[in-house]
Amino acid sequence: MVQAMLDRELKKGSAELLILSLVEHEPRHGYELSKLIDSRSNGAIRFHVASLYPLLYRLEKRGWIEGRWVEKAGQRRRRYYRLTAEGRRVLAAQRRNWRQFVEAIARITGVQHA
Amino acid sequence: MRDATSDSDPRDWRAEIAARLASLRLAPEEEADLADELAQHLDDRFRELRVRGTGGPEARRIVLEELDGEGVLASRLQDVVRRGTPAAAAVVGTEARGSLIAQLRQDLRYAMRAMRRSPGFAAIVVLTLALGIGAATTIFSVVNGVLLRPLPYRDADQLVVFFGTSPEKQLPEVDFPAGLFVAIRDKSRAFTHMAAFEPAGFTVTGNGDPVRIDAATVSLDFFRVFGTPPLLGRTFVAGEDTPDNNRVSVIGYGLWQRMFGGDSSAIGRVIRLNGNPSTIVGVMPPGFVPDRAELWVPLRLDPTVFNCWCLDMVGRMKPGITAEAAKRDLVAAVDAFALSRRDVFPESKPDDHAKIIVMPLVKRIAGDTRTPLLVLISAVGVLLLIACANIANLLLARAAVRNREMAVRCCLGASPRRIAAQLLTESAMLAGAGAAVGLLFAVLAVKLIRRLPEGQIPRLEEVRLDPIVLLFAVGVTAICALMFGLAPALRAARVDLQTNLKDGVRASASGGARRLSDAFVVVQFALSLVLLAGSGLLLKSFQRLLSVDPGFRAANVLVARLQPPYPRYGDTRMVRSFYDRVVERVAAIPGVRAVGLTTRAPLTRGNPQENVVVEGHEPKPGEPVVVSNIRNITPGYFEAIGTSVLKGRPFNASDEPDGPRVAVVDETFARRYWPNSEALGKRIMAQGDTSANRWITIVGVVPNVRHASLGEELNLQVYEPYAQRTSWAMYLIVRSTREPRSLVSAIRSQVTAVDPEIPLYDVRTMEEAVSRSLLTRRLTNGLLTAFATAAFVLAAIGIYGVISIGVAGRTREFGVRIALGAKPANLLQLVLRQGAFLAGAGIVIGLLGATWVVRFLRSLVFGVSVFDVPTFVAATAVLALVAIGACLIPARRATRVAPAVVLRE
Repeated sequence: MVQAMLDRELKKGSAELLILSLVEHEPRHGYELSKLIDSRSNGAIRFHVASLYPLLYRLEKRGWIEGRWVEKAGQRRRRYYRLTAEGRRVLAAQRRNWRQFVEAIARITGVQHA
Repeated sequence: MRDATSDSDPRDWRAEIAARLASLRLAPEEEADLADELAQHLDDRFRELRVRGTGGPEARRIVLEELDGEGVLASRLQDVVRRGTPAAAAVVGTEARGSLIAQLRQDLRYAMRAMRRSPGFAAIVVLTLALGIGAATTIFSVVNGVLLRPLPYRDADQLVVFFGTSPEKQLPEVDFPAGLFVAIRDKSRAFTHMAAFEPAGFTVTGNGDPVRIDAATVSLDFFRVFGTPPLLGRTFVAGEDTPDNNRVSVIGYGLWQRMFGGDSSAIGRVIRLNGNPSTIVGVMPPGFVPDRAELWVPLRLDPTVFNCWCLDMVGRMKPGITAEAAKRDLVAAVDAFALSRRDVFPESKPDDHAKIIVMPLVKRIAGDTRTPLLVLISAVGVLLLIACANIANLLLARAAVRNREMAVRCCLGASPRRIAAQLLTESAMLAGAGAAVGLLFAVLAVKLIRRLPEGQIPRLEEVRLDPIVLLFAVGVTAICALMFGLAPALRAARVDLQTNLKDGVRASASGGARRLSDAFVVVQFALSLVLLAGSGLLLKSFQRLLSVDPGFRAANVLVARLQPPYPRYGDTRMVRSFYDRVVERVAAIPGVRAVGLTTRAPLTRGNPQENVVVEGHEPKPGEPVVVSNIRNITPGYFEAIGTSVLKGRPFNASDEPDGPRVAVVDETFARRYWPNSEALGKRIMAQGDTSANRWITIVGVVPNVRHASLGEELNLQVYEPYAQRTSWAMYLIVRSTREPRSLVSAIRSQVTAVDPEIPLYDVRTMEEAVSRSLLTRRLTNGLLTAFATAAFVLAAIGIYGVISIGVAGRTREFGVRIALGAKPANLLQLVLRQGAFLAGAGIVIGLLGATWVVRFLRSLVFGVSVFDVPTFVAATAVLALVAIGACLIPARRATRVAPAVVLRE
């Protein structure tokens, strides 16, 4: 139940922020991103193919991230995504908004930061 | 070796993914990228599950569930489908090829549907193209046959003709004497073989009725120059040019068929040429028709002969030698010889380089048709450009209507490249259909061209739709498709989704597309003006030509040729007696009004000329000599041909062979030497004539007669009485009171009555001769006028379309203006101003272009300057009127906009 709610509501607003944050310091491929989200949220948030990739493509289309095929010896090629300059500005803004939003919710609901 | 976790096959995953993405209709390379990425993900996930101990089938189920358990993958991807990236393009490889063909098939199907949906549009485009491509292909088939296709001889590009030239003596072409030819043949190093020849005509008897054939006397190397072996027998061998050993002949394929029905026993048969026996030793293959001769006899090259400058020359250059190098070689040979033989060339000086022209045989044969053909092919090219601009505009207008369709397809995942490809496919299909219909036109047109009278267009028999012509048609079609298809396709690829979807059904071209359309209209008008001005000049020239007084009256005149054979007619007295009897008998035929003989009738080939000295105007050393046309005529000639005697008298029976020599000159001659006094009684003589009886007294003056063509420059002309200068070969001129053709058999039987072995040949009416002499011009003009008409019709349609669309797009604006009190006249003016601007810009550019282009017409115009102001003004006026007419219809539509209706919409 909680899972479903988080999935539907939180993900909508925060998904972009999650992806941008994860590629902030190094390029990552799609599977890696889904694993990281899964493990760092202790399984609370999960992105499967049908939600992850449309999102990646949307971000790429907006010019916030950039995908590039990388081939390594003995492996099939993978597409790595990295943050663009534009993405960096967006990430900063979204972080600020998110923080304000969470603080606002906290002030109203009395829920404290973890 | 496979480990436990690798029992998944990425290709499986791809198939699963592809099945779920099918509805997106991605471009193949996009789909491949997407599938690669997702498959990698699924593969990783599958391995992870297996490592954790999940069973294979269960792991697979989970993976697929995660892929698209809710069935939303496609719809989520729909609006974020990745645009093709450079990296993605590299994916297209063998795997993608299959789908490229599938894509093409899809595009073709789609194009078919699009064409069926608007059949009127398709029909207009296809027809426009068919006419353009058909005309271009037809003209090119003539250009190819006459100018481009190699002559049917081995290494034909090595074949050249050469001759001297002496512009200062008004002699563009000077043939060589045998002595000079032999000298240069032996000295020149640029040729493998060279030959001299002289056109001849023979009456052939000994095999049925006497027939007259075109022949040539040729030096022994003649056939070696062309490199064509005989079909049967042999050609001439050494020693066969000596007077007692030269009774041999080689015949052409056509003559062999006509005379011997293709029987090989013709070899060794003896025929009589002008009464002399000659043994046929060889038959040449079909297609061997240099200079239209059908029979060849040996020419004796006497190295001591320098008085007859009458040999034509042809040579085969050594491989790698250019015409320019060959010319230098010939000039050096002639110069060396001239300096070594002061006895023959007393005036030659060391720095006095001979003037020689070396011309590729193929160009020589094309002759006068070259310029008109090049003009026509250029004109048809311009017409095609105009047609393409028109179609491009039609497509742009349609693209505006189809914007929404394109936007929707874009949203459904079609890449811009895909849409552009689709539109180009449609263009290619239209062009292909146009080409197919155009080729049908061309087949018919080529058939018509082949039926033109012989001798007017050289190599007419080689005009056909061969692979090269077809290749040309395909090339032209492809270029057309690109020209009119590229602009709309590129514009569609930059489709702006939001605007277009919002705009919905309202068809309006974007600013960029409108500017492009405007540019096309300007181009159309510019090109149309060039065509109109050019064809106007030629039409005006033609009118001038038709109004030229040729100096004779062509109606009811029959011309035919006769030649009593030498040596049976061994002296001039016998010849005169033959002709006197012929004239007497023909004159007695009912319906004959006048009969005359001349050495050369007007509008026939060849033009005998002579250097003339005018008493009291003898040229000082260094001054050019006077060159005049010379005709020997009988007393009845002027009446028969219809040339009036302006002053003095025509010849009569009193001008006897041994009497005082007399001449009639033409007005041009009289005016040049005696502008203010009477020519009658003055005396002239042939240059170099030292006989006691050399002075010739002028007894009459006649108008100038156009000899070679109606448009020729005026030549001086001298007529001498046939009785005092007799020739064997004569033209018989008969003026009748009825249709002259009806007299031919009667005339023929009278000639036969005098001598049954002398044929009447080259029979034609003077009117036919006139009309034939104008045929090439008439054809050129007809075609050019048709092209120009088509051009301005297309330009009219073009500007009409653009202004109409403009008006349609501004309906709301006009409504507002009317509501605010604008009068119809204001709106009319507004719309017309736009049209006037486009047409005006086109016309100005066209005028500039035309002044540059018309200089190429210089050799074709007659009696007008190529910068003829009235023609340019008329062309401008025609186009301006057309533009106004075409704009008036949409302009009136603008004035009838109902403001209430429009504003409510």
